[in-house]
Amino acid sequence: MNAPNGHVGAVTVQPLLSVRGLCKHFPVMSRGFCSKVVAVVKAVDDVSFDLAPSETLGLVGESGSGKTTTARCVLRAIDPSAGEVFFRLPDGRMVDLATLPARELKPIRQHAQMVFQDPYSSLNPRMTVGDIVGEPLVIHGLARGEELEVRVAEVLARVGLKPEHRLRYPHAFSGWQRQRIGIARALIMKPSLIVCDEATSALDVSVQAQVLDLLKELQREFRLTYLFVAHNLDVVRNFCDRVAVMRKGRIVELAPTTQIFAAPQHAYTKILLSAVPSPDPDVRMNFNVGEELAKLDAAPQP
Amino acid sequence: MSDADPGTDPAHLPLLEVENLEVSFFTPDGVVPAVQGVTFSIARGRTLALVGESGSGKSVTSYSILRLIQPPGRIVGGRMLLRSARAGDIDIAQLGEESEMLYKVRGGLVSMIFQEPMTALSPVHTVGSQIAEAILIHQKLNPTQARGLTIEMLKKVGIANAEQRYDHYPHELSGGMRQRVVIAMALVCKPELLIADEPTTALDVTIQAQILGLIKTLQRELGCSVLLITHDFGVVAQMADDVAVMYRGQIVERGDVRAVLKNPQHAYTRALLDALPSRRHAALQSARAAAELAPAEVKS
Repeated sequence: MNAPNGHVGAVTVQPLLSVRGLCKHFPVMSRGFCSKVVAVVKAVDDVSFDLAPSETLGLVGESGSGKTTTARCVLRAIDPSAGEVFFRLPDGRMVDLATLPARELKPIRQHAQMVFQDPYSSLNPRMTVGDIVGEPLVIHGLARGEELEVRVAEVLARVGLKPEHRLRYPHAFSGWQRQRIGIARALIMKPSLIVCDEATSALDVSVQAQVLDLLKELQREFRLTYLFVAHNLDVVRNFCDRVAVMRKGRIVELAPTTQIFAAPQHAYTKILLSAVPSPDPDVRMNFNVGEELAKLDAAPQP
Repeated sequence: MSDADPGTDPAHLPLLEVENLEVSFFTPDGVVPAVQGVTFSIARGRTLALVGESGSGKSVTSYSILRLIQPPGRIVGGRMLLRSARAGDIDIAQLGEESEMLYKVRGGLVSMIFQEPMTALSPVHTVGSQIAEAILIHQKLNPTQARGLTIEMLKKVGIANAEQRYDHYPHELSGGMRQRVVIAMALVCKPELLIADEPTTALDVTIQAQILGLIKTLQRELGCSVLLITHDFGVVAQMADDVAVMYRGQIVERGDVRAVLKNPQHAYTRALLDALPSRRHAALQSARAAAELAPAEVKS
């Protein structure tokens, strides 16, 4: 097995996903008729990380840090500008998702699924829940007729929805129930990797806890690997094994969760953690992050 | 009820007293009570946080104070006494829909910051003109003076190049900048009460920290009271003096922020606090520590 060379982070087992030097650059065009490229926005700039099977890696950062773009490049929802995304298939083969032609990519997509942030916009309002959850199986031609019905009912039951719910439309469900539908849609493909893009950000704390619990249960049961994109550090702390902190398209720090929170190494991680309002009134948050970030940007980069 | 006990300094009376507020929505499927018998008060210069999950009635309560409840919703009972230093005692619940006083209250004596700054800003007017409009409505200033005051206010909320930014449209600004503009608009008329409805929910933590810091600084400067609507106990702990926890249209617990967060009395408050990821993390850690301790105890 020719595993990708070099290790990033503490992964010692064969990684399920191995990202190397991932870049996504967007050209900035000048205005007018004869527009030409005047600048390049490096949304993702030389990002590398490994993801072990059954591991949860948190990708945190502020909006614009490139965490969602990274996640989308990993799933090839958008084409990366450079870099490699090695993904291990269930049969043990390693493929580079970044360069695979579209035709070969489609059958591989069933192994890597996504759960989206907004349970309102990610579900088609004109489709019933049963059709939404069963659609991936239909697209990949993996089940039809009675088998399709059975598998949809199974997966709905697994995420805590009732069989009769499959005849209803998304508008009849609360945000939390919709998020279960989104999870069921990803789960029905029996994937090995699920990318959760801010999967709990739109939910209340009490429901957020339930979604995280469900995701943890499913992870144990189906040996799922999560790439968990989030901006809420509190959620990441409780849910992820390792955390990658992104800023301006780059990973500034990647370490086990306990280490990131107990002893952050990078100045940016320290500022980010200090800005989180603690629910303990005796632990004062840092209101001064604006100036500290400006100072960080002014300092010469190593 | 008499307005004040003899011997009590009116300055020490609460700025706002809400008593038995009832708001219902009259839908074709029946009457939905959104706020039921809510009672609280906000002292001068202090911050009260109204915390609860979505649907708990916290936003309906705050909208009621500005009389922004739209049909089929209606305030069906209670009183909201605003003890304005500038305009005297006003029962907001009794004001006529078209009354002069209501216009004076809205944006003048009481102003509001919304969660999503884009909904509070007009996309077709420059940010400067929108702030100046508030000044021209509530203060006796001419347009040139209003422009000057607007630029001064934009500087105060931390917007660089305020003179140029005056002529920018909301879509040209980032989310954090827009929220700063909304804060400038809310505070330019020196309100006695600022209602902030999830002012930082849509923002990143580092921007949130800056906006919360800004609200604190300006509150101190203007001496206004703040009613902070939020679902985030972190924001409550860092910003508020007092807290009221809402559940299903009622306040289930109310008190000093330290007392409520450190020693919640109501089961719902406890459940809500226990659902916090940081609390769950702590619980998990102590469970792990206990599990690791157990075999060691056996050994010794």
